[in-house]
Amino acid sequence: MNKKLIGVMLVAALLVSAMLVGCGPEEPEPQNGEGQESKYKAVLLLAGNLGDMSFLDSANRGMQMIKEELGWEIKVIEMGTDPSNWEPTLTDVSSQDWDLIITGTFNMQTQIEEVAPKFPEKNYVLFDVSVDYEKGDYSNVYSILYRQNEGSYLAGALAAMVTGSDLPRANEQKLIGFLGGMDAPVINDFLVGYIEGAKTVDPEVKVVVSYVESYSDPAKGKEMCLAQYDMGVDIGFNVAGGSGLGQLDAAKERGLYAIGVDSDQAMLFKDSDPEKAELVLTSMLKRVDNSLLRAAKLCQEGKLEFGKAESLGLKEDAVGLAINEFYERNVPEEMRAELEEIAEKVKSGEIQVPSAFELGPDAVKELRDSVAP
Amino acid sequence: MHPLLKAIFSASFAASILRVTTPILFAALGAVVADLSGVVNIALEGMMLISALTGVIASAFTGSAWIGFLAGVAAGIVVGLVLGYFHLKLRTNVILAGIALNLLASQGTVFLLYAAAHDKGVSSSLPSKVMPEIQVPILKDIPVIGAILGKQNVLTYLSLIAVAVIYLFLYKTSFGLRLRVVGENPDAADSVGISVHKVRFIALAISGALAGMGGVHLSMGYVSWFSRNMTSGRGFIALAAKALGRTHPVGAFFASLLFGFTDALSNYMQSLRVPGEFIQMIPYVVTLVVLAVYSGRQLKSGRFSNE
Repeated sequence: MNKKLIGVMLVAALLVSAMLVGCGPEEPEPQNGEGQESKYKAVLLLAGNLGDMSFLDSANRGMQMIKEELGWEIKVIEMGTDPSNWEPTLTDVSSQDWDLIITGTFNMQTQIEEVAPKFPEKNYVLFDVSVDYEKGDYSNVYSILYRQNEGSYLAGALAAMVTGSDLPRANEQKLIGFLGGMDAPVINDFLVGYIEGAKTVDPEVKVVVSYVESYSDPAKGKEMCLAQYDMGVDIGFNVAGGSGLGQLDAAKERGLYAIGVDSDQAMLFKDSDPEKAELVLTSMLKRVDNSLLRAAKLCQEGKLEFGKAESLGLKEDAVGLAINEFYERNVPEEMRAELEEIAEKVKSGEIQVPSAFELGPDAVKELRDSVAP
Repeated sequence: MHPLLKAIFSASFAASILRVTTPILFAALGAVVADLSGVVNIALEGMMLISALTGVIASAFTGSAWIGFLAGVAAGIVVGLVLGYFHLKLRTNVILAGIALNLLASQGTVFLLYAAAHDKGVSSSLPSKVMPEIQVPILKDIPVIGAILGKQNVLTYLSLIAVAVIYLFLYKTSFGLRLRVVGENPDAADSVGISVHKVRFIALAISGALAGMGGVHLSMGYVSWFSRNMTSGRGFIALAAKALGRTHPVGAFFASLLFGFTDALSNYMQSLRVPGEFIQMIPYVVTLVVLAVYSGRQLKSGRFSNE
């Protein structure tokens, strides 16, 4: 009997710990509006958990900015990694009183497409993916796309400058690396910008491209980058989520440079491994935070154009390189000035950065082959 | 020569094979021990993950890589015993218990990671230690071999030693014999006074310890931090390596080496403009082919028809 009891308790412990990790959506508190009527209210639904060091964390920061700068009432709901929870949560939240319902990443596209038409009086903001506006009436959905190709253009320009420079760790070969998560259009959009950016600085630069085919295998990411560095690559750009962090360990092991993505990857290791952080010259960021703040501001002014997708780039501060102490210390003054100049040209439209989405897979492949070593 | 081909025929490529093989080999040995005792341990993936995190946390708080290593191994043993408790004492289906443990590990480690590092993605804020790389005297001075085997992580050497130790344990000790008897025919073992439960508990503990070493290698050897679900299916690949190696430690070693080789090859060949998915497929195609050839030979020799 006693054993049975222990068994039951163990099972209960398992269940409780599984729940603690957050599969179930939090129930928002009832909104009874006691003197809060005038406040705008926004809720952020995350398909996943915070701590991804990427879009979801950035979106969370955006919500904090909306709260601090615009004085909105906000709520952030982590919906966990179980997709079967996402649509019910979205439906629940849609029947509550919110001025803006914000969610994002491609995980949520079909859910929004399903739910938004059922609540035509509600307003939705979808980041990093767009609903298919031709599929139905999405006049209450505003989609934000990021021109990651523009940010990556700067990363490529920096990489080409570094590999051709006489920086202490740069070698003779004009070879730069790219570590992608998957051979998919969104990753290749980074790649296209990266290659084009490198080519403007030095047309002779060659790019070694590897795809991990996983976003959560840092060991494999590291191994691929070691292979790249051993070929003569002296700076690489990782666009592979958790797998990409493996690049930083490879960079440290070989004493060569890396460029991060999505989050400021130098800051991740600033305290625990400063030697590694020094090698991460910068990171290319999608500023989900800035774009959400912008959307909320426009919404407040009644200028947010629902019913369409907008792609935001350098001009809107929605993408860009991380300017931190490591960037300022390790990237020489003249390179930084040149990057600034290139960024201005992109902002003014003088430079048009091509996109993988417009080029299509065949043209991307051609471009990739044209810079292969 | 093409720079990539040059890279593939280099000592650093061979060294990379050993690195890639290490975690798979540890887990595959764990699978062999559990399987020979008659328990299919599909919780290897979860064991590795829990050990990888435990090692990082323990080493960060004690400042010692070795204490981290021991804590990781201990965590593997504990998970092995938990699996044993559910399967042997509570009579849960071992596959279901294994799946439950894997799910628990996948999300539970994120929970613990958040508790320890206030981060749900990566443990980079913890000052965790890394198991040292060591140079083997004499060996490191031999050309080619020295470049491959001369300087590796201490856990890579340990994994190679483990192959021999597990082989001797299973086939040259009386306990190893009992373990195999229990796996082969538990009723017969019981009738001669061998405690089936005790033997299987010990086998699962050893299996957990080995998987734990593989996990620690990932977070404290391969890279220097823990990140969520960083095992990325290696525990399951280890099960395939066990099957391919015919549930024998030496067979599992060669099977793991084969997986390590194809994986390392795919890492290096990526830039040869062969589609990534295609290269990623190689280990699995090799497994299928080898299994087909192997069972084909068995069919021919009539071994199946006798059963």
